Amino acid sequence: MRTIWNRFKALFSNGRLEGELNEEIQVHLAMRADELRQQGMDPKAAQQAARREFGGVDQMKEAYRDRRGIPPLEILAKDIRYGLRGLRRNPAFTLAAVLSLALGIGANTAIFSFVNTLMLHMLPVRNPDQLVSLYKTGGWGRGYASYPLYLGFRKHTDLFAGVFARSGADKVRFDPGHSNRAEFVQREFVSGNYFEVLGVQPVLGRVFTGDDNRTPQAHPLVVLSYDFWRSRLGLDPAVLGRVLLVDEQPLTVIGVAAPAFHGVEVEHRTDLWVPAMMYRGQIMEPGMHWIWIMARRRPEIPRARLQAAVSTIMQQYLAGVYGGNTNAAFRRFAMEQKVEVRDAGVGLSELRDAFGKPLRILMAAVGLVLLIACANVANLLVARGSARRREIALRFSLGASRGRIVRQWLIESLLLAMMGSILGLLFAMRGERYMLLFVPAGSSDEFHVAPDAAVLAFTAGISILSALLFGLAPALRATALDPAATLKEGGTPSAGRGPRAGLRQALVVVQVAFSVVLVVAAGLFAHSLRDLHSINAGFAFQNVVTFSLDYPRAWETADKDRLRERLSARVASLPGVVSLSYGFPGPYLSGNWSSGIRVPGSARTAKEGVEVAEQGVGPAYFATIGSRPLRGREFDESDMRATRKIAVVNESFVREFLPGVPDPVGRVLSFDDSKPEGGEPTYIVGLVRDILHNGLRSRAESTVYVPFTQGKQGPLAFDPPLLVRAPLPPDALVPMIRRELRNLDPEVALVEPRTLRERIDDSIFLDRMIATLSGFFGLLALLLAAVGIYGVMAYAVARRTGEIGLRIALGAAPARIKWMVLGDGLLLIALGILIGLPLSLAAGRISASLLYGVQPNDPITLVSTIAVLVALGILSAFVPARRAASIAPIEALRHE
Amino acid sequence: MSTRNSKPDVLQGTLDLMVLRTLETLGPQHGFGLAKRIEQISDGALDLNQGTLYPALLRLEQRGWIQSRWGASDKNRRAKFYELTDAGRKQIGHETDDWARTVALMQRFLRPAEKES
Repeated sequence: MRTIWNRFKALFSNGRLEGELNEEIQVHLAMRADELRQQGMDPKAAQQAARREFGGVDQMKEAYRDRRGIPPLEILAKDIRYGLRGLRRNPAFTLAAVLSLALGIGANTAIFSFVNTLMLHMLPVRNPDQLVSLYKTGGWGRGYASYPLYLGFRKHTDLFAGVFARSGADKVRFDPGHSNRAEFVQREFVSGNYFEVLGVQPVLGRVFTGDDNRTPQAHPLVVLSYDFWRSRLGLDPAVLGRVLLVDEQPLTVIGVAAPAFHGVEVEHRTDLWVPAMMYRGQIMEPGMHWIWIMARRRPEIPRARLQAAVSTIMQQYLAGVYGGNTNAAFRRFAMEQKVEVRDAGVGLSELRDAFGKPLRILMAAVGLVLLIACANVANLLVARGSARRREIALRFSLGASRGRIVRQWLIESLLLAMMGSILGLLFAMRGERYMLLFVPAGSSDEFHVAPDAAVLAFTAGISILSALLFGLAPALRATALDPAATLKEGGTPSAGRGPRAGLRQALVVVQVAFSVVLVVAAGLFAHSLRDLHSINAGFAFQNVVTFSLDYPRAWETADKDRLRERLSARVASLPGVVSLSYGFPGPYLSGNWSSGIRVPGSARTAKEGVEVAEQGVGPAYFATIGSRPLRGREFDESDMRATRKIAVVNESFVREFLPGVPDPVGRVLSFDDSKPEGGEPTYIVGLVRDILHNGLRSRAESTVYVPFTQGKQGPLAFDPPLLVRAPLPPDALVPMIRRELRNLDPEVALVEPRTLRERIDDSIFLDRMIATLSGFFGLLALLLAAVGIYGVMAYAVARRTGEIGLRIALGAAPARIKWMVLGDGLLLIALGILIGLPLSLAAGRISASLLYGVQPNDPITLVSTIAVLVALGILSAFVPARRAASIAPIEALRHE
Repeated sequence: MSTRNSKPDVLQGTLDLMVLRTLETLGPQHGFGLAKRIEQISDGALDLNQGTLYPALLRLEQRGWIQSRWGASDKNRRAKFYELTDAGRKQIGHETDDWARTVALMQRFLRPAEKES
């Protein structure tokens, strides 16, 4: 043991020990020389005699060194030093290889970080793998369910070890007490068993129990997250019993949850948990969809059985609630709701639901980029192997084993991969920040994509894997040689295209094939994005700023209306403001509202009522968003006070309910859908174009616009977002609006000011992100492939210098030679395209669902990809070709 | 490597014991002193390449039988001194026994051969 330790130590103190050994030898020699001198020998002879008696100093040192270190480790250290020296001696090669790898590894790390954050992080709760979400589909919104449905599932203790409910994490006002500026926190309403089922413990005080969630409005309690306790309350231990004003509800702090726990959502971090019974809405109303249902499943129950049982429970529940409803359309719509059992151990994430498939496709794309980079480095290594044939042959003759040389090469490959991954990590961190810019501001808060242990392990893993991938074949190839023959040749390999050249060409073909896949993908996504952008959204979305207002809770609707009117008047008179309006839900804002209608005389509603989208809008709404009525008129101030019911409809509405009617103005519809001919009539006063209110990817739907005040008598009792059209930069406009608001009433807050343009971009953020990233990866692939082609062609020309010189000497025209080389390059490209096209068609089919308006086998994209690659081939083979054509015969023959 | 090891192995064993015994009788010694003493005792019968002593010293030190430190020689020269450790002292006992056994064994083979010649 001690021997090993001493040797190990020696490994790291080589220099010092070497010095000591030298000194010891010198002392020895000096002592003997002294002695001999005293016996009368002359100094010089004495020195020589001492040396003679000592024997070979170098042999002795070698024997000494052999004993000193641990041989395998010593050799490893030597190989690393040797490798580093080799890489330093060849900076161009090293730079090209490291850069290729860094780009490949960096791209992989960046995308993997997202995968890791969204899909792999387990919640810090007890046995997260047992958590499922009971995800509602169909009917009103996805995921959100009603409180009565939760109670329905909670009874089934035979299926679940526990079922709990939670609202989304909502941003609400929080009054910290010491300043009069409103702060916002993320609040989540939860059922009493939330912490218990999750298995989350308090660090201070207690968490909720079932008794804390029995009676509506009777449990003014709050549990804090650890981060909230730390950042807002300074870890104050006296916080228990304190009353916090949250969303203007006074709540008593009863505890602080475990430090790592931020709720069950991936992209939102909850600050405060409040019993669901404190929710201000009608909690027992089955039509109120506001909570997510989650459960801990019993591991002994198989998935299929659980899903079947859950579906049965859902059917029974729906039959109980909606079975007796007389409105057939409504009943069918309601009964179509289903519940999916989904794994929820990694938390809930709407971003993941949207992002999951794109991420997988991007992950595949970056995988290809890395493979192309590996092919590049392998190519460089093969070239280097040929250049080092003489050295390798020499090492063989000196007794090195093939295994030893291959190992030495692999170590060099690992060093390259390591440098590549360090640089790649830096690229990845930049890239992630760039990717996060695409994510809409409101959809997440403090969304952390940081390289944690899993990401680092992933990066290390792929870099080792790629080192083996690009290092092994060249190493085996380079060491498969006959030392004697090679040394005789003087190191230059025999001309022609031996099997050695084959590997490099195969690598280039692979590179081109993968590049084709990536370039086709980039083309398809870019095409898709362009189509999305060219969609006529139905209005001119430039120069419109939207925002909402947040009023104090105590305010009545009349107070809010008064303030909104006063603010509107002030903002409308600001310099530069063209028009101002409001509307609910508004374009790209808060979702959908639908109502059942009947249209007298329409076959479509003859048998039963039909659900259509409804919008409550203010005066000059269409002028403000940049549209105008095709027929009739839009609403004005007086319509807001009128009692006669009126509406504006869109083109889809006419197509669906009044086909063949050129001008619907004067026709009637009714929101009372109980009778075939409807009840109280609503008169159509205008026709507008279809406006895509739900994002560019949504389809136009039949829509009825009503005056905002008229809609408010119905279910639209919400605060409408405001819209301001002004040819001013938002950075100038928003502060002016804010100032007016502060002057009117400092208690009202301006929420989420964003331009309509930004909201439209947000509605297709995935398309923009995929198009941008795949474009980048496609370019990267092209660049790497170009380097690969150039390298192979340049090398081939260098090797065939003699042959080409001979051809020229025998009268071949330089142009012919040029074409010969170019032809070789194009042949590789053609092969690559041949292999790549079927691959990209397959890849296109997989990603078809992400494309808009373009088919995966889009001929324009395919043809332009081929054109790009051929051009690339000519470009990168051109320089070597020209050099080949300019070879002087004399020089070439001398070279031979 | 293997060619280098096989032949000197026999010599190695003997050299180790010579060094240990010398250190036992003389106390701490530098390399040159040891070499001189070993040559003296062998009385010319052993043609020692003095250099071979140093790898042997390193080997003994790695095994923990001797230890070294830098000190001043009698001529006031900085030199590395070697001395026996407790483990080394015990090892002398083992090796002496081993040698005694080997010598006895070898003699049994060698005696009849002498008679015949």
